[in-house]
Amino acid sequence: MRFARALLPLALLVACSSEPRPRPPGVLFVSVEQQSAWVRNFNPLFAGAGARWPTRAGVYECMEIFSSAQGKWVPWLATGHAWSEDQRTLRFTLRDGVLWSDGKPFSADDVVFTFGLLKQHPALDAGGVWRFLTDVKAEGQGTVAFTFSRVYLPGFSDLAHQIIVPRHVWKDVADPVTFTNPEPVATGPFTQVTLFRNQVYELGRNPHYWQPGKPAVSALRFLAFPTNDQANMALVEGEVDWAGNFVPAVDRTFVSRDPAHHARWFPLYGSTVFLYPNTTRPPLDDVRVRKALSMALDRDRLVEVAMYGYTRPADATALNDAYTGWKDPQVAKDAWTHHDLDAANKLLDEAGLTRGADGMRRLKDGQPFALDLEVVSGWSDWVRAGQVVGRDLRKLGIGVTLKTYEFGTWFTRLQRGEFQLAISWSLDGPTPYNFYKWLLSPRTVRPVGEVAAANWHRMGDAQADELLVRFERAGTLEEQHALMSQVQQRFSATAPAIPLFPNPSWGESNSLRFTGFPTEQNPYARLAPHAEPDSLLVLTELTPRER
Amino acid sequence: MGRYILRRLGFYLIAAWASLTLNFIIPRLAPGDPAAAMFARFEGKVAPEAMGALKAAFGFTDAPLYAQYFTYLKHLVQGDLGMSYAYFPARVTEVIGTGLMWTVGLAGVAVIISFVVGSFLGVLAAWNRGGWLDSGLAPALAFLGAFPYFWLAMLALYLFGFVLGWFPLRHAYGHDMEPGLSFAFAADVARHAVLPASSIVVATLGGWMLGMRNTMVATLGTDSIRLAHARGLPPRQVMLRYAARNALLPNVTSFGMAVGFVLSGSLLTEIVFSYPGTGYLLILAVRNQDYPLMQGLFLVITLAVLAANFAVDLLCLWLDPRTRAHA
Repeated sequence: MRFARALLPLALLVACSSEPRPRPPGVLFVSVEQQSAWVRNFNPLFAGAGARWPTRAGVYECMEIFSSAQGKWVPWLATGHAWSEDQRTLRFTLRDGVLWSDGKPFSADDVVFTFGLLKQHPALDAGGVWRFLTDVKAEGQGTVAFTFSRVYLPGFSDLAHQIIVPRHVWKDVADPVTFTNPEPVATGPFTQVTLFRNQVYELGRNPHYWQPGKPAVSALRFLAFPTNDQANMALVEGEVDWAGNFVPAVDRTFVSRDPAHHARWFPLYGSTVFLYPNTTRPPLDDVRVRKALSMALDRDRLVEVAMYGYTRPADATALNDAYTGWKDPQVAKDAWTHHDLDAANKLLDEAGLTRGADGMRRLKDGQPFALDLEVVSGWSDWVRAGQVVGRDLRKLGIGVTLKTYEFGTWFTRLQRGEFQLAISWSLDGPTPYNFYKWLLSPRTVRPVGEVAAANWHRMGDAQADELLVRFERAGTLEEQHALMSQVQQRFSATAPAIPLFPNPSWGESNSLRFTGFPTEQNPYARLAPHAEPDSLLVLTELTPRER
Repeated sequence: MGRYILRRLGFYLIAAWASLTLNFIIPRLAPGDPAAAMFARFEGKVAPEAMGALKAAFGFTDAPLYAQYFTYLKHLVQGDLGMSYAYFPARVTEVIGTGLMWTVGLAGVAVIISFVVGSFLGVLAAWNRGGWLDSGLAPALAFLGAFPYFWLAMLALYLFGFVLGWFPLRHAYGHDMEPGLSFAFAADVARHAVLPASSIVVATLGGWMLGMRNTMVATLGTDSIRLAHARGLPPRQVMLRYAARNALLPNVTSFGMAVGFVLSGSLLTEIVFSYPGTGYLLILAVRNQDYPLMQGLFLVITLAVLAANFAVDLLCLWLDPRTRAHA
């Protein structure tokens, strides 16, 4: 009691000093990464590792930027590019007058040097550009020529999106793979690390930025939020100006609190979420069985229950909204992604999987048809999706056991092909080329037990691959679209994996202190801050309301 | 007595070696391939061709286990805990360094407060057996302690942080504070620590109190206490110097074990309050199969627990004359 009496005034004293903290004008508060404490790492070359956002699109820059919201390439460090007649050489014309943040000029030498680093250190060559390149050389200060080993037009996006680092700094770096680059020298809008502590860091403007008057934002500040709940609370309270979080019931919990300023935009530009069947295991090797599984799914309910209605059911092309222009409307109508239990049952009957007396389907050897469905434990949206899928498949007489694993274990099993059914994402790029290549090309199939980066379902289609190879050489847009239509027909005919829904690209903004966020009406980039390199477009566009 | 201490020290050295060895073996027996998990986080950003080079960069080797074991021991002696996979290319020592101080500070203070206050309440409860402390507070605290811990923490966060706005919702100090040896900074740190620390205290207080109360009740029934009363000593002196000192032993022994909780068990507190400690690092390390980081954290926890138990041994030596007699 005496203790409580002593503590209470102390608690009140401490509590009374609590007031909303003023935020420095012009400083944009961003929430992208979920971390409990920041580790100082600004290495832009080692893709996907622990570099702080926005190292790869904000501190450093690339030559051109594909804006999936606009569906076009935006010139950046390069003003343009041209292919040679034989499509074996690609020349980028670099922008004049670009300076590194230490005042030294940016030139073709830096580009050549950067690609040289990738060749020397394959761990940095995330796109695998040296599979199709034979040489990179400077032609004067302002032109870089890339020589290809074969005609491979999709290689353009890998080159255009490569981050460029300054030769005069990185030539002295002993090991660029393990270099943490604590004081970055870069061409991007925000290059100065003005504050770095375990719970907060701040990036100030590049004093030599090449776009006059930009960025208008004076600094970016990042607070550490280890969980989604914490990040969402800060967003709802207005402590964060720009975020890319999954927010449950976002319109009620966030937008409605200040409809004039709070906005969310979840375009369906994320990858497509699939139900992957392991096609090396009978009867999942039978296209009729895969299509039957697909037709058993009530995708309308799936997106409502699992995804709060933030997305729509996938169609038979499996393409998300970033590829709307590529979609073949005829293929999209194919019936195998529509909910139709009768048709699904008929397909299974045809495939010889008859129902036993207990109503459960049997394999040809008399064993019950039962599958394990694997998802990541804790990924609540996918776990819910797995529950809906399981219930729908049981209506066909297929036993489904939902199994959740820790992420590492789950992904290992997926990559090695040691699963029966699994829910996972897909890979994509500026065109649907990579997307379908990883779904359909025999070149991406690895034996069970060997790690595969994608094509976890382990299926290849020779006809589709021939079309994809022709696509690599297709110079005109008409030709590309015609080929991609045929690829979609092959996808729909073979149903290598079962598309569920396109993943939304999460983005929330609070325009109380800043204007210029992309919206559905002004879709100059994705609002999702993790959508690199779109974030460069946003960071240079935002303007503070107060100075 | 010197020999006794030396013998205990020898025991702790062997225990430390055994835990280091387990620390090496256990993650390697676990299912899953860390290289694949590593790759996973790139979600297609890395070409499969880069994988071999990546493995080399991360130091994955196919060397036989015993060779890896000796390399592991050698690096440990040199204070090199390797590179974190999850925070690559940061070093494990650097990553642990970002959080260790805060965890030790927060959970350490909370556990000490809980131990001292809980034990003291236990003494009072036993002394006034049947009083409101004994029949009211003790069951209430036991009840609170039985709640899922994170639920208590979230309730505190919601009520005192979000609704009432009395305390900050997250972090160890305000992001506009300049860390340093100033009164303002210390006050800010204290203000940020109130909710997380008190949620740990509330959840664990009941255990200390009950433990202390029960031994104390037994001690009060012994002849020595009756003798002390008969000698006409002041009640306060009897309660504290005679009864409490003897009854404290089991609680002190448990305290050594509670130190393990200081480093690993404050994990949920840190998650709920975004406190920048080692707890969240541990979750992340497990999720990413970040062996070096896991090993580093377990090493710190193990050594802390062993050191605390050694300290407890010494304390018991002082508290309990019987230990001295045996030594």
